Amino acid sequence: MIEVKGLTKVYGAHTAVDHIDFTVNDGEIVGFLGPNGAGKTTTMNMMTGFISSTEGSVKINGFDILDEPEQAKKQLGYLPDVPPLYGDMRVTEYLDFVCDIKKVPKDRRPEMLKYIMETVKITDHSHRIVKNLSKGYRQRVGLAQAMVGFPKVLILDEPTVGLDPKQVIEMRDVIRMLGKRHTVILSSHILGEVSAVCDRIIIINKGKIVADAPAEELTAGSGNSAQLVRVGCSKEKAEQIIKTISSVNDFKVSTDNDETEIYVSGEGDIRADISNAFVKAGVPLLMLKGAALTLEEIFLKIISGEDSAVKKPQIKTENEVEEAEQ
Amino acid sequence: MISIYKKELRSYFTTFTGYAFLGFFVLITGYFFAAQNLAAYSANYNDVLVSTMIMFLILVPVLTMRSFAEESRQKTDQLLLTSPISINAVVIGKFLAAVTLYLMGIIITAVFPFILSKYGNVDVGATVCCFIGYFLMGSCLISVGIFISVLTDNQIVAAAGTFCVLFLLLMMDNIAANAPISRAASLVFAAVIVIAVAAAVWTGTKSLAAAGCFAVIGVAIVGLCYIIRPTVFDGLIITSLGWLSVLSRFENFYLGVFGISDVVYYITFAGVFLFLTVNSIEKRRWS
Repeated sequence: MIEVKGLTKVYGAHTAVDHIDFTVNDGEIVGFLGPNGAGKTTTMNMMTGFISSTEGSVKINGFDILDEPEQAKKQLGYLPDVPPLYGDMRVTEYLDFVCDIKKVPKDRRPEMLKYIMETVKITDHSHRIVKNLSKGYRQRVGLAQAMVGFPKVLILDEPTVGLDPKQVIEMRDVIRMLGKRHTVILSSHILGEVSAVCDRIIIINKGKIVADAPAEELTAGSGNSAQLVRVGCSKEKAEQIIKTISSVNDFKVSTDNDETEIYVSGEGDIRADISNAFVKAGVPLLMLKGAALTLEEIFLKIISGEDSAVKKPQIKTENEVEEAEQ
Repeated sequence: MISIYKKELRSYFTTFTGYAFLGFFVLITGYFFAAQNLAAYSANYNDVLVSTMIMFLILVPVLTMRSFAEESRQKTDQLLLTSPISINAVVIGKFLAAVTLYLMGIIITAVFPFILSKYGNVDVGATVCCFIGYFLMGSCLISVGIFISVLTDNQIVAAAGTFCVLFLLLMMDNIAANAPISRAASLVFAAVIVIAVAAAVWTGTKSLAAAGCFAVIGVAIVGLCYIIRPTVFDGLIITSLGWLSVLSRFENFYLGVFGISDVVYYITFAGVFLFLTVNSIEKRRWS
């Protein structure tokens, strides 16, 4: 359980984090999402007690991070944006040192470290010197460090940055698994990243929380479900058919050889209406999938009122969406 | 604290630092031992200890430049400060580790006076006393080095800074001897101190009112002193600089005089710098 109240950080004339409030319940995986420089790292640094707050309070399981730092920090595991590793140590030496400073009893260590190293898959590299490890493995050792002592709360700052696609998927699996035992807060500037693993997403921009909602709600576009449809007919015919569907609010059509791609948005679940309409007209329906919004679109939507992002849809293939997110 | 201590000590020996320190320490001490005891047919080991002090200028920066500068460069300070250990424990652990390495050097070189005692008349009491002073003084300089290391995240800057400050500290007797002793000069000196304190308060709190308060109080104290006991201002600069002279305190130990006040001086000196180190870390968190 993490309670953040009126948390503020002011650097001179610049307000990095501006009165943010949120609560994270036990067992939740919360994604902290925002563009670079939005205040994610500053907030996490304050939550973990690395820096102090100008105003406001952070309570970890009821312990204030500034008033009872040792109690609060015992409940915490933190993976900062750069994993805090000692280059000249071996992986096992390093994790042993972390056990030391986190005051893990000696008799619990072997079993705990074995479990952690297996979870993040570094058992085979446990005798290597940290500075010789690749970026991906360093990130894993960093995560292992955060898990030492099995703290109730794990705070992970951009845990997948700099990893290759395979490692990103593995890291997501690990985080999902950690969510079963720990309360996890992770930050990212990539929407796909957080929506893949998080139950809830908090969007932060310019130091303020602009949205705090379950993951599906944000990516689906709250009330508006957008679909990407591909049909085997001409552009004109597709437009004609789409216009007959009453539940569709807006659409945009583009052609690709003899196939037509349509971005459709409407009230509620419009999938059945779309497929029925095309089947009735005898047009083959080649593809029908939920069009995920990108972080930029969600931002636009939240910042400039209800559903402007849906009104100005952009057709993006999956690859383009991922590129834009990266 | 013990975990930090163990880690630091181990890191001295997994890197080049520990070996370089001990090697250089023994080499220089051995050279002076050969030159001043063996070649000169002298059994006074204290002379050797005094001569070797020049090597502190190099060895202390080597020992302390990494301690905090490297933590902030590698961002491992995030690990230490978000772990359930206090900043005091981190600072003291690091200090004790550096002091332990220094003590190892002393213990290794203690074999020299032992050799001497086999062939000549070594004043055991005076030598032990001098060793204690030598240890305390070195520890003080290490505390200075650790403080400077916390101010930067660049080892080289930390080393150069430590070198300069140690040079000034070891030169302090010389500087004090040439300082003006007139009351006017002392007043100027007192004014500079008051301004420096006020400026420090201002940079720390960004509050003009607080800085002004300190300035007014400082001026009042100086003024009152000048009216009530003007003799205080005779040679004030020399007296003040004398407080910073770690070498002059060593003279008693060199002569074989064990003074509690000197021990207290050294411990206080190191304590102040460790306190400043803790505060610098705290201040960085709050700025």
